[in-house]
Amino acid sequence: MEALKAQFPATNFTLLAVVLALPLLGAFVNGVFGKRLGKAGVRLMALSALGGSFIAALATFLLLPKGEGGGSLSWTAWRWFSLNGRMGQTIPIDVAFSVDAMSATMMLVVTGVGFLIHLYSSEYMVKDPGYHRFFAYLNLFCFAMLTLVMADNMAVLFVGWEGVGLCSYLLIGFWFGDEKNATAGKKAFIVNRIGDFGLLVAMAILLYYTGTLRFSEINASARNLLDPVTIWPFGNLPLEGQWDAANPNANGLYKAIVHLFLPEKGVQVYASTLVGLAMFLGAAGKSAQIPLYVWLPDAMAGPTPVSALIHAATMVTAGVYLVARTSAVFLMSPAAMATVAVLGCATAIFAASIGLFQHDLKKVLAYSTVSQLGFMFIGVGVGAFAAGFFHVFTHAFFKACLFLGAGSVIHAMHARIHDTDKSQDIRNMGGLKKFMPITRWTFLISCFAIAGAPPLAGFWSKDEILWRAFSTKIVAPEVARDPLWTWPSWLGQAIYWVGVVSATMTAFYMFRAYFLTFHGEFRGWKIVAGWKEPKHGHDDHGHDDHHDHHDDGTPLEGPKPHESPLAMTLPLMVLAVFAVFAGFLMAEPIHVEPLGHILSPVFTRAHDAVVLRGEGVEKLMWPMMGPGVAAFLAGTGAAMVVYLNKGGAPEESFKKAAPGLYRLIYDKWRIDELYDAVVVGMVDALADIFTAADKWLIDGVLAKLTAAIVAFFGTVLRTFQTGRVQVYGAAMAIGLAGVGFFLVRPHADATVDDSKLRSAGEVVISAAPGPGYTYRWEGTGTEQKDFSAAREVRINVNPGETKDVKLHVRNAFAQEATHSFAITRPGRGFPSSAAQPPLVPGTVVPAGGGSIPAKDIPGLINPRGAQ
Amino acid sequence: MTVPLEYFVIVAAALFMTGAVGFLIRRNLLVLLMSIELMLNAVNLTLVAFNRQHVGGHAGQIFTFFIIAIAAAEAAVGLAIVLAFFRLRSTVRSDDADLLRN
Repeated sequence: MEALKAQFPATNFTLLAVVLALPLLGAFVNGVFGKRLGKAGVRLMALSALGGSFIAALATFLLLPKGEGGGSLSWTAWRWFSLNGRMGQTIPIDVAFSVDAMSATMMLVVTGVGFLIHLYSSEYMVKDPGYHRFFAYLNLFCFAMLTLVMADNMAVLFVGWEGVGLCSYLLIGFWFGDEKNATAGKKAFIVNRIGDFGLLVAMAILLYYTGTLRFSEINASARNLLDPVTIWPFGNLPLEGQWDAANPNANGLYKAIVHLFLPEKGVQVYASTLVGLAMFLGAAGKSAQIPLYVWLPDAMAGPTPVSALIHAATMVTAGVYLVARTSAVFLMSPAAMATVAVLGCATAIFAASIGLFQHDLKKVLAYSTVSQLGFMFIGVGVGAFAAGFFHVFTHAFFKACLFLGAGSVIHAMHARIHDTDKSQDIRNMGGLKKFMPITRWTFLISCFAIAGAPPLAGFWSKDEILWRAFSTKIVAPEVARDPLWTWPSWLGQAIYWVGVVSATMTAFYMFRAYFLTFHGEFRGWKIVAGWKEPKHGHDDHGHDDHHDHHDDGTPLEGPKPHESPLAMTLPLMVLAVFAVFAGFLMAEPIHVEPLGHILSPVFTRAHDAVVLRGEGVEKLMWPMMGPGVAAFLAGTGAAMVVYLNKGGAPEESFKKAAPGLYRLIYDKWRIDELYDAVVVGMVDALADIFTAADKWLIDGVLAKLTAAIVAFFGTVLRTFQTGRVQVYGAAMAIGLAGVGFFLVRPHADATVDDSKLRSAGEVVISAAPGPGYTYRWEGTGTEQKDFSAAREVRINVNPGETKDVKLHVRNAFAQEATHSFAITRPGRGFPSSAAQPPLVPGTVVPAGGGSIPAKDIPGLINPRGAQ
Repeated sequence: MTVPLEYFVIVAAALFMTGAVGFLIRRNLLVLLMSIELMLNAVNLTLVAFNRQHVGGHAGQIFTFFIIAIAAAEAAVGLAIVLAFFRLRSTVRSDDADLLRN
């Protein structure tokens, strides 16, 4: 340990580079050379990359400075770029990574669970032709996710954020040959873009108000965000009153129209609320919260290990991680926290209700994930950042275990049913406990854990969240201006009770899935002892790849469903062990909380801002555990009665009693259809408007108008282009005659330089040159009788005096022309300065007018020029 | 006794005008070419005449030679064009050279 500590100092902790580089190397090698390496080589590369990364992450975790103040390990790779802040300061943005207790825990989850899932996939995907591609993506995902959790600033986090989004897209659409999968990938990507927009806005506002993107500095200077921002009218638009003051002469109609658009009173919010809401939009996109949750259920189109790793254990928790990471910002805005908590709560119950009647095993788990993510957001929303993060931690184990268990079941079902949808349908399963004991027991344990059975992992984390929601309130920071919005007293309790109802539903649908899958009679196919595979093999396609050779109405026959091989069951067992014991890392009621202890320095700012709601509330801790346990018992009991004892008959009768409601829930409350009609419809309508504008306005008017103008001039000019040489010749002759005439005439033009008129009374007149020109000047003082070649003449004028100068020009043909100038110098009374603008040519009055035009006089007596 | 300069200039102007007017109003391509020759030779005449005023220099006469050479080249090219045009349209009227019109 000591040797490692000396090797890796806390401020230059290069071990982080190892953690990051190994998965990246794995992705590179598998992506570029994977085809030549063969499956064994790809497996070795992928597993050793993740395994090495896990060991390095473990070392990092152990080397983390322990103690009261916490601490972090950081490593700066290089200076990325720098920006200018609003105070003119330079803001450096580094590619830097730093790890504290929270990120170190996340690193362990990503690499540890990631390793188990890699191990599992190495068997699950073994028949897939895209084996190397799969592992390249999976390794790349781990790299991006590690970048995300280890990032020292939001810019690096954003790189990881986009990286995991990209890998998610690639892996959802892994079997892109099927249109449905490709569409699901696109949907995930596009919905996430909306969230990413929010994250970018949040970054910009943070950069403006706090002048930094580093998390430590953001959290330290979060109070700078208590600055009111005018969100309406936006830009620099004035208010009604301001506009009226600026435009006193506006007439009635104009004024009325402007008033229609300008508000009477501006709307101001605190920057912290704005950042919080924008950041939550980003988090909601990545973590599948209302209103952006729609992509996650569709993401189940990807291979099952992907669902376990990306869409359950790691990537989707990035939003929770982000909120917890920037906890100080959220604490500056109770309104933003309330939004997080309420939307999390709504998502929890809404997704749980959809999960109740789904038939697809993976869909049930997907909605369960959305619902559990809702719980995590309740946690971070009510200020229980450690509890929310703890639920991320425990959820990673039991949900990964559930997904991998589901994958194991699907793997078994695939022996005879090759259609994706049918092999995942729990109506085709049943009675698998006889055939797949390991899968069954691990699945059951995880079901208990997610349902909140004490003392399994899910119980401790969920109970902690609900207890915090019930017992605490958030103290709004003191501000000099308008006080911040504060939570009504009932909100926390309302969230608590809604949470309890969702927990009941969770227990119900999880055990529904369990009983339908593992109990009762097997419904997939008729089991025939000693059944032999028909001649045609199906070796060269993956598990979820569907080729159904048996869809001809005859009942399927087949051998007994088989338990999965060790490479798949081993991760299940490990994860199940964690699902049982992980809760004891932060079991607050029984005061066993090592994780809570090391996380506590990360959220020091929450200690003061989040306080108990009232006197004596802490005594309710044990009693308030009751509803949580009751929720588990009620949900599990109901599922047991309905699906174990009565074989699902009550669900059938409910379906008959309220077909509309059943259908509605089964169709996921038709939210996808609603979005399709509203959002997609709106975009389509907008596109139609643009198309019409393009067709009629751009093509119809602009293009045709310019074409018509060009055509008109073409028609006119064409009449001159007769094509007759003589006509051109005549035009040339006339033109030459005109030029000749001009050249033969004398032209008496001159430029007057009067820049020294005020100071020295000197004016220089230079006549324009011409062929064979000679000049004669009159009125210059020295009399000149004959024409000479002197083009320039210098004239001195006394103050107050006017001189008339006459220029005679004679050309080679002895023709003459004249031009007169009247030069006036201002009198002595006027101040004179070289700084004054020179007299414009307008002051040089041609013959006839001897005085300066009235409009120029103010310029001459400008007192600014006094010296 | 020498012929005054004005006479040369007047003759040259008359020649030039004849050529110019001929070029503008006649339609026969061969006549047009001859008109151009007339104009060039009018210029030659003025150059030679003015050069006489300019004792000791021969720039005007040298120029004349150049112009004669260029006129020869121009006539060769011009006649070639006229010949080609005649083969194409069986006419030497300049008005009929309208293949590129419209």
